[in-house]
Amino acid sequence: MSTLRLLFLAVLAAVLPVSAQVTADRIRHADREPQNWLTYAGNYQSHRHSALTQINRQNVAGLKTAWVYQIRQPGIIETSPLVADGIMYLTEPPSTVTAIDVRSGRAIWSYTPTIPRDIIIIGSPQVNRGVALLDGLVYVGTVSGHLIALDAVNGTVRWDVTVEDNRKAYYLTLAPLALDGKIIVGVSGAEAGIRGFVDAYDAKTGRRLWRTFSVPGPGEPGNETWGGDSWKTGGGSTWLTGSYDPELNLLYWTTGNPGPDWNGDVRPGDNLYTCSVLALDPATGKLKWHFQFTPHDTHDWDATETVVLFDATINGRPRKLLTQTNRNAFYYVLDRVTGEFLSATQYAKQTWAQGIDAKGRPILVPGQDPTSDGKLAYPDVQGASNWPSPSYSPQTGLFYQAAREMGTIYFKGEAEYVPGRAFMGGGARILTGDDSYGAIRALEATTGKLKWEHKLLSAGWTSLLSTAGGLVFGGTEEGNFLALDAETGKLLWDTQLGGAVRGIPISFAVDGKQYVAISAGYALFVFGL
Amino acid sequence: MTPAIFPSRRAWRGLGLLLAACTLAVRLPAASPAPSADVEAGRKLFRDLCSNCHGHEGAGAMAPSLQRPRLTYAPDEATLRVVIADGIGGRGMPRVRRWSEKELRELVAYVQWLGAVPATPLPGDPAKGREVFNRVGCATCHVVNGQGGTLGPELTAIGRMRGPDYLREAIVNPGATLPKGTLPVPGRGYDEYLPVVAVTRAGKEIKGVRLNEDLMTIQIRDEQSQFHSLRKSELTRLDKLTGTSLMPNLSAQLAPGELDHLIAYLASLQGQP
Repeated sequence: MSTLRLLFLAVLAAVLPVSAQVTADRIRHADREPQNWLTYAGNYQSHRHSALTQINRQNVAGLKTAWVYQIRQPGIIETSPLVADGIMYLTEPPSTVTAIDVRSGRAIWSYTPTIPRDIIIIGSPQVNRGVALLDGLVYVGTVSGHLIALDAVNGTVRWDVTVEDNRKAYYLTLAPLALDGKIIVGVSGAEAGIRGFVDAYDAKTGRRLWRTFSVPGPGEPGNETWGGDSWKTGGGSTWLTGSYDPELNLLYWTTGNPGPDWNGDVRPGDNLYTCSVLALDPATGKLKWHFQFTPHDTHDWDATETVVLFDATINGRPRKLLTQTNRNAFYYVLDRVTGEFLSATQYAKQTWAQGIDAKGRPILVPGQDPTSDGKLAYPDVQGASNWPSPSYSPQTGLFYQAAREMGTIYFKGEAEYVPGRAFMGGGARILTGDDSYGAIRALEATTGKLKWEHKLLSAGWTSLLSTAGGLVFGGTEEGNFLALDAETGKLLWDTQLGGAVRGIPISFAVDGKQYVAISAGYALFVFGL
Repeated sequence: MTPAIFPSRRAWRGLGLLLAACTLAVRLPAASPAPSADVEAGRKLFRDLCSNCHGHEGAGAMAPSLQRPRLTYAPDEATLRVVIADGIGGRGMPRVRRWSEKELRELVAYVQWLGAVPATPLPGDPAKGREVFNRVGCATCHVVNGQGGTLGPELTAIGRMRGPDYLREAIVNPGATLPKGTLPVPGRGYDEYLPVVAVTRAGKEIKGVRLNEDLMTIQIRDEQSQFHSLRKSELTRLDKLTGTSLMPNLSAQLAPGELDHLIAYLASLQGQP
């Protein structure tokens, strides 16, 4: 063989990777390859729905464990794995990424970033919710406030940037979102008086392309909704992965509570854009429209819950919709082209609003704010929903969500801002145990009307996965993992995993066999027929 | 986002107990050092977020009394700071939430102030209380220093774990004082020793206390200390007798003054050295 020919082959090998790369086009058309799970919620519309049908209503009772992967350091697993071309990318708490061969369950590489011992995490456990994949790289946010790009082949660091200073309590727990050439992330930290933002980074280099603050500064529209200088410590974390409409080219990102959490006196006004959804131009980060669910929140009811995108006809008119089971106990339906409010339906117990008016603004029940002596209100401080993923099935037209039925006694106190310190202005005592319960609920996606519910023992943290096999998978705090009939909620299969189910379920296939993956306790479990 | 989980009891029962504790309060500001501004601020925080378990003015309820000069898990100021900031793993004391530096200082000041106050002597006589304990048959269900029955909770260190107001309530109204999930089983916030009645499809009735439960199954220890593992789909009835206890109300069996003696005896049970 000639030297020239050898050189040609070497170049070819370098250019063509062993397995196909995950391109933005593949993610955009994720529905065409249901054997893979290419982005956090399965598709850009955040359906967390699998089109696979091998495991279905008729045979799910025969589901068995295929393999189990144990994490190496105890911690809470709140992650959604991704699967691309036979490799699973799993995050382990606090910010480790492990690539696993899905045929055998054996790890093929693992990367753990250096996390300083004295990192500042205020407001959540040290968790991670997953990675993003794009063009041969794996992206992970860390609890130390970094965004890191790893080579998908062996976990080597390609770039590592600081999103924001962790000494001021900024940190990342969310799965990044990969768009064409860009990685989008948000931050946690509103319990420490941060000023939230959404960032876009060049996927190849890590250079920051834009930053859009969730709390507007002086001279910007919305700043007038903050009394005095309160915007500076206004919170509005952006801590869960957003959704994206490739046709409208609009990025939908959600925001958390204002700071301080429970004392609204020091931040008079609506406190835009906290507890909101923002529609952003992904090229520039420019705000196209916004909708605020809970103006001037005083209960820590972040609006960061996953927003789900689908199209349907409402009142005879075809609409592009955005829906959310908000932490404040209402299910919202918006027009995602304009942000127009269409409806809000209560889906869990609440005591704070008489209803939602025609513009989408809550009509408050007087006297539900936190007080010095404590005020019992519903839903609880962790919300009727929270970070766990809902699921939308195009097959049933139902929106599946695990509701949390719990109250909290809310206290108002003083808040003093010290960078990197708790800035909450009170406290909250949740009414757990036998006083509370949870329920997996199926809502008519266009109206929020309850179709069925499957009650759970406690208000937990389960995400849901629906499949075209007519199933909904979910778990419980007590370690049960369940398959329900997607049409009726009837229990079809269950098993006990020995630890609280807080992982986020996905489904994938390899060698023609479908699997369902879920984390519970300190392990990831993979089930197949 | 949301701070760490805090255990709680049934809302109204809890508030009721808190009120009851207020009326029974035995705090003695007369003998105590004058509270500083930090102590006063810490008292307010404590009342809102700690008294639910530690009782009014730290007199002890579900969680230990803090009106003691030396705390088991926080014998010095540095440890006390860590315990308040992070909780105690595996002992039921949670990290209530992230405190600011100022709040932490205030809580430490308040808890130290509680410890500096001389404890109120209890009116009863522990030796006489022990006789009462033996006479009414407490040991049928409770272990003290390795001796006794297994249906109820062990009492070997109950005086360290519970305050006198709680002990009184537990004797005269046991159903109101079921311990609230500080153990891994059945889990934080759940009633421990909750009486349940299950009826199987075959018609067999099982009455006992719940050991654990999940969505599909329940584990019960019956009154003869027999263990039962039951799948809920196999039951025709499952009643949780919330607000009740398998322990009888003992007040009718006690002569005047004997309740105080019994409390004094229980308070003297500080665990094996």
